Amino acid sequence: MRTLYKIPILLLILCVALVSCKKDVIATYDVNDVDIEDKSLIKDRSKSNKQFISILYTTLHQKAISSKELVRTERVIESFGDKALINEVIVSNYMNNGEVVLPSNDEMRGNLDSFVTVTYKKFFVRIPTEIEKAFFVNYIESNPNITPELVYTAFASCDEFQFY
Amino acid sequence: MKRREFIKKAGLTAAGGVAFPYILPSGRLFAKTNAELADHVVYVLFAGGVRQQESVLQQYLSGSQGVDIGGNIMYNMLNGTPPDRKIVYGTTPAGEPIGSLPIPKVLSTSLQSQGLLFPEVESVNGGHYGGLTSLLTGNRSTAQGLKVRPNTPTIFEYLRRHRGFKASDVWFVGSGIGNSFPLLNSSNHQSYGTNYGANFVAPGITFGNEGVDILSNAKSYHPQEELEPIYKMRAFLNNSFRIKNGEVDGIRNGEDEKANIKKFVEEVFAKKSMGALARSPVSGAGDLQTLSYAAEVLKYFKPKMLVVNLTNVDGCHSNFSGYLRSLHRADHGVGWLWNYIQQEIPEMSGKTVMMATPECGRNLNPNPIQDENDWYAYDHSGDYNTSRVWSLMAGPNVPQNMVVGSESNRVGRTTDNVLTIAEIFGIKDAVLGAGFMDPTAKSLFDQI
Repeated sequence: MRTLYKIPILLLILCVALVSCKKDVIATYDVNDVDIEDKSLIKDRSKSNKQFISILYTTLHQKAISSKELVRTERVIESFGDKALINEVIVSNYMNNGEVVLPSNDEMRGNLDSFVTVTYKKFFVRIPTEIEKAFFVNYIESNPNITPELVYTAFASCDEFQFY
Repeated sequence: MKRREFIKKAGLTAAGGVAFPYILPSGRLFAKTNAELADHVVYVLFAGGVRQQESVLQQYLSGSQGVDIGGNIMYNMLNGTPPDRKIVYGTTPAGEPIGSLPIPKVLSTSLQSQGLLFPEVESVNGGHYGGLTSLLTGNRSTAQGLKVRPNTPTIFEYLRRHRGFKASDVWFVGSGIGNSFPLLNSSNHQSYGTNYGANFVAPGITFGNEGVDILSNAKSYHPQEELEPIYKMRAFLNNSFRIKNGEVDGIRNGEDEKANIKKFVEEVFAKKSMGALARSPVSGAGDLQTLSYAAEVLKYFKPKMLVVNLTNVDGCHSNFSGYLRSLHRADHGVGWLWNYIQQEIPEMSGKTVMMATPECGRNLNPNPIQDENDWYAYDHSGDYNTSRVWSLMAGPNVPQNMVVGSESNRVGRTTDNVLTIAEIFGIKDAVLGAGFMDPTAKSLFDQI
């Protein structure tokens, strides 16, 4: 009789246990793939001469410019009124010093899509729009004389490269 | 068309015509207003701070050191006999005292005899930058800050906007990049500004050791096979990233002009390496070097307007004897440049007006610094003597052997020069109409 009295209590405990104890569901959260490089990056600040030279030199040589060279180059830029012109001459001198790190012509033409995208990222810190990509791919394909050096020269001496 | 509609449209058209002046294809806002007096102007900012006593007054040492020796040490520019004793202003032959050999005259007839001298002119600003700004803007520049472009348009901008000159028609050859000199090739005025500025070059740097290392090894690209694609790709990039006027500091030349200037830079480096640069008989660093490169710019571009800035006489702050030497050398260089234009540049010979004016004078009383001859140095801190300068001009349609004003009769201001150049190029009324000139400024031609 005493045992019978305990059975409903045990059943109740069992029921409560069955209802309340559930195995934890381990949830995993993730981030959707998002393109963080803005195609229409707003660049409205002109680089100072110092910034321009540092970035130009690093972009072309894959190493930092020495402080002495930086100061000397800055003085030369200041000594000339047409900054775009003098920048072109400086780029042209860099191209002639044999230290610029350039992809080969075969590498460029082997994967033009990738070359154009990488070049936009390297100089403008953004990916090209489809129109931009199409222009360069078509232009380089249809002009066998174009080398990576000429493309880099155009990028390094254009307006967008002077802004950040 | 109904009568009411016709009247409305005719009224709007007339109002538009009044409100918006006709802009000529060249970018000029108004047609030129009077006849030109010369094809070219070379404007020497005879700067650094020049005392009247050692220049036009020809007092040599008597007006400064209490030594009773007078004489003219600027005998290419001014009439007068040189000092006969205590010669320190010349060159230094080996083993001889410093400055003991005067530089021989390069002009058989002085610029004063060939032209017009205003011996007592008011400098409206006693500092270098303010003084130079006034010489280039025709404005008193009282609110002009340092390290910023002039607030009001420069003569370069007036000439480019109202006379339609290209960027490579107007040059400013500076003595260096300090003291904000590179900012003087254009104002920051919204309606003018760098779009109408002059090409600036500080040749001591551009073509000096730094320039040789950084610029002289430029690649020569093939015009069609290499340069053309570069320009096409860059044009596409620039079209995709349109910048607004004034967003990039500095002036901009057209593509043709750029190609020409690059050729000039190459040519100058080549001439330099061959020792074939134009040079005055006595040459060297500083002002004479600046004048030498100014001559190269003149020879190559035959610009409508070239301004060259001298500065060495400012050594007077600490060395009076050095100041005398700099003054003598500057006179030598200016005389040589005038000869060079007449003899070596046929396109400019007889068609060029040269003007020279110091931007400010120097104090009447010395500071305590003495040089190797125990002579005292002079600053320019704003006394009356600092406001005393002179103006000299020569060339076609400039009266010869004429002096206007005297020590007791001041005639002219440093702000007059811009209007004078504007008159030479036929745009005086347009410049006056722009409304930025010193209200008291007058063309020097109107003060004869």
